[in-house]
Amino acid sequence: MEVVKDRVVLISGATDEAGQAMSLRFAKKGAKVVVTDTDQGKVDNLVSEIRQEGAEAFGLVADPEKPDEVKMVVTQAVSKFGKVDVLVNNVDTSEGKGIADLSDDDWHKSLTTNLDPMFFFCREVIPQMRQNKYGRVINMGNLEYIGWPGKANYSASKSAIFGFTRSLALEVAKDDITVNCVAKGGAFESSDMSEEDAAKLAKGLPVQRLGKPEDIAGAVAFFASDASPYATGQTLFVCGGKSMYFSMSI
Amino acid sequence: MGIENRVALVTGSASGIGKQTALRLAENGAKIVINDIVADKVNETVEEFKRQGLDVIGKVTDICDKAAVDEMVKDTVDTFGSIDILVNNAGMERAGALRKLSEADWDITINVNLKGAFLCSQAAHNYMVERTHGRIINIASRAWLGGPGQAPYASAKAGVVGLTRTLALELGRKGITSNCIAPGLIETPLWYELPEKNRNFLLGKQPTGRLGDVDDIANAVMFLADDETSFITGQVLYVCGGRSLFSG
Repeated sequence: MEVVKDRVVLISGATDEAGQAMSLRFAKKGAKVVVTDTDQGKVDNLVSEIRQEGAEAFGLVADPEKPDEVKMVVTQAVSKFGKVDVLVNNVDTSEGKGIADLSDDDWHKSLTTNLDPMFFFCREVIPQMRQNKYGRVINMGNLEYIGWPGKANYSASKSAIFGFTRSLALEVAKDDITVNCVAKGGAFESSDMSEEDAAKLAKGLPVQRLGKPEDIAGAVAFFASDASPYATGQTLFVCGGKSMYFSMSI
Repeated sequence: MGIENRVALVTGSASGIGKQTALRLAENGAKIVINDIVADKVNETVEEFKRQGLDVIGKVTDICDKAAVDEMVKDTVDTFGSIDILVNNAGMERAGALRKLSEADWDITINVNLKGAFLCSQAAHNYMVERTHGRIINIASRAWLGGPGQAPYASAKAGVVGLTRTLALELGRKGITSNCIAPGLIETPLWYELPEKNRNFLLGKQPTGRLGDVDDIANAVMFLADDETSFITGQVLYVCGGRSLFSG
C-alpha cells in the first residue's frame, strides 16, 4: 500500500537479505533505487535483479565507514537521479562477546561499523532533503538494543541508533523529513539453520514462526511511503511479538 | 496479500478517523461494517459508501453493551462470511482537573474506550481463531503517556495498550496479530471543539508544528491490517509527528 513511485531511494548495506528484500520491494513500487555495499559482485547482482523489476537502478561500491566515500555515493546518487528522497541505513554487524573477552578493538569496531555509516549518510543526505522539504530516513535497529547477555558492545551501538533516530527526528521535524527506526528481533529464517533449531526458535515467539527479510522490508516500506508523513522518531519492532518479553519496549 | 476481500469492522466509523479508515479499507477491497451509536450518522455514511460502489453494511450498536456487540459481530459474519480485521476506534474523552472530575466522567470514558475494545475483541476473536487469521488494531492515543486533565482518558488508553499486548501474547499462535496505533494531534471535528487558546498552545509544542491528517492514521491501519504484516504484533505505533518524543 506504500507510495514510493518516482522517489529516489538510497540503501546502504544493501546486499544483505533485508537489504535485497527492500530493494526489490521499492523497485516493484516504482521507485528509483541506488544501492551501495562493499562487495562489487554482490552489488552488481542486486542491481541486475532490481532492473529485472523494470526499475531504474545503479550500484556503488563504497566503504560506509569512510566519510569521503559516503560523500561520493550521495553525490553520485544526486547527480544521476537529481535527489535522494528516502535513505535506508541498513549497515548492521551483529557481533557480541562476554565483557572480559571484549578487546578495545572489538568495542570500537562495534561502534564504528554500526554507527559511523548511519551518521555519515545522514550528514550528507539531510541538507538536500531540507532543501527539497521532503525526506524519509529509516535506520536499521535491533531488539537486542534493549539488553542482551554477551552482547553489551552490540546493544550499546544499537541503543545509540535509538537515541540518534529520536534526536534527528526532532531536529528535522519542521522540514517534512521523518526519521524512524525499524528494529528487527526475535528470530529470522536462515539457510544455515537446521529444521529442528528453526522450530525451537519459532516456539519462543508469540507468533510461532520465524521472521523473513520481507517482514523487514514491509515495515521499512511503511515509513518510506509518501503516505506516512506523521510517523517520526519511532522505533517499530518487527519481532513476532518478542519485544513484549522485555520492559521499555513500547 | 493486501486486504482484498477481507472483512473489516471499524467501530466509531461514522465520522473522523474511523470513517476515513473505513473508507480507505473499503477502497482497497475490504468489505466494511460501519458502526456508531447515532443511527442517522451511520445511515448517512453507509449511503455515502454505497454511492461509491463499496461493499458496506451499517450497525447502530453501543459497544459497551455485550449482548449488542455479540449480535453485531454475528451479523457481520452472517453477512460477509467472516470477520478478519477489527479496528477498535470508537472513543471519547471527558477531560478536567482531578478535583473536578465526576465518577460518571471516569466510568463513561473507561467504558467507551476500554470496555468497548475488550467486548469487540472478545466477540470477534472466536471467529478469527476458527480461520487462524485476524488483525486487531486498537486506536489508542499518545495521551496514554499521561497529560494534565486527562486522568480518565489517559488511563483508558493505557488500558488499551495493555489489552493490545495481552491479546498479542494470547492470540499470536492463532495467526492473529494485535497492535495499537497511537495518534497525536489529528485534524478532526473534535480538534476544532477545543478552545483556540488550547489549540495554539498544543500546536506550539508539536515538533512538526502542524496537525496530522485522518489519512495518516488510516494508512497506518492499512499497514497493520495487511495480510503480509504478520510478524508485527504487540506494538504501539505512534503517528503523532514526534509528539511522543517530546511534548514539553
